[in-house]
Amino acid sequence: MPVHPAGPRLYRSIKFKYLVRGAGSATHARASNISLNLTPFVDMMTILVAFLLMVFSSSKLLQVQAGLDLPIAMAKGKLQDTEAVIVITKSEITFKGEMIATVDSVLRDESPTYRIERLFERLEAAARQIKIDVEMGKIPKELVAACDDLKNNKRPGPDEPLCPDGMAILQADLVTDIRVINKVVVTAKAAGFDNLLFAIKNK
Amino acid sequence: MGAAVGTGEGGGKSVNVELNIVPFIDLMSCLTAFLLVTAAWVNIAQINIQPKGKTRDTSDVQIDDERIVLSVLVQADRIWVGLSRVNEFQEIPKNQDGTQNWEKLETTLKEHKSNLFKDRNDLEIAGESTLTQPVKYQDIIQAMDIALKVECTACPVRKFYDVGLSDPMGLSARPSL
Repeated sequence: MPVHPAGPRLYRSIKFKYLVRGAGSATHARASNISLNLTPFVDMMTILVAFLLMVFSSSKLLQVQAGLDLPIAMAKGKLQDTEAVIVITKSEITFKGEMIATVDSVLRDESPTYRIERLFERLEAAARQIKIDVEMGKIPKELVAACDDLKNNKRPGPDEPLCPDGMAILQADLVTDIRVINKVVVTAKAAGFDNLLFAIKNK
Repeated sequence: MGAAVGTGEGGGKSVNVELNIVPFIDLMSCLTAFLLVTAAWVNIAQINIQPKGKTRDTSDVQIDDERIVLSVLVQADRIWVGLSRVNEFQEIPKNQDGTQNWEKLETTLKEHKSNLFKDRNDLEIAGESTLTQPVKYQDIIQAMDIALKVECTACPVRKFYDVGLSDPMGLSARPSL
């Protein structure tokens, strides 16, 4: 293929002022500044940012581990926040980010107590700490009434918030064998967690 | 783009002030991109349950024996709905397509709610899984979801608010298989 010498290039050989003049009439030079109406763009951006901020604020607890598919249900109760979060993925059980046991080992274990001992130790320590925090008043204001009701053995209503004392969240994969869930529930109950919140995905 | 600033005087000087909105647009664009990347589009909710029934390491019976308890046992191939004390059980086999018959479960629970459990809100659910016939967590959640949805508008207590998960061996009404 023959190599030709470099010829004229657009914007290099033709000066910009000629291009702008050429766009309009031949006799009258137009201004090269083109005014864009940015108002609809800014409006759209503002609405989008406001919407995303709302979505962002409502998904505080969405620290779902990679590969964890939550079960799907119609229940609409908003997931409450608490420190004690048990996560069961397809392969392992973790508590507060710490790996406790593999799902296979839990399924193989046939101990008569029907508990996961390592999880029991961690949950018991966490329950103790939460109880101390509640007694010292280190809880959000909106939960004070719920904790007072708990002291008086009054059960909360269906949509009322729960006191963090004795409450844990369970995030488990939808294909988890129910035997693992049963063992975790039995362990949590033995450690003092009488209220379990099952995290679900809305349809 | 500009913003008109009224001076209130009839001077000849232009009162239009040009605002530089480029930094604002830059900021908005960055914020939008960041929020789009970090936002979670899944709405997560909760089902609140209390562990119920007997546990295997204790003989404590936590359910008042004088009361009839409505129990649901989910197995891989069927669902049992039972009443303790009277030992009545209703079997709900799977559909022909291999899925659990959730519609029948809902109807059955509705019937119980409007008859024996008009003024009660408690119910226990258990899942019995074996190595060869596993029951998935999704099935139990589905059963709980249905139990929480069942409503009797003419009853003093309209819904089953107190749904508990039980160990299958500790279920109050367990069919003898």
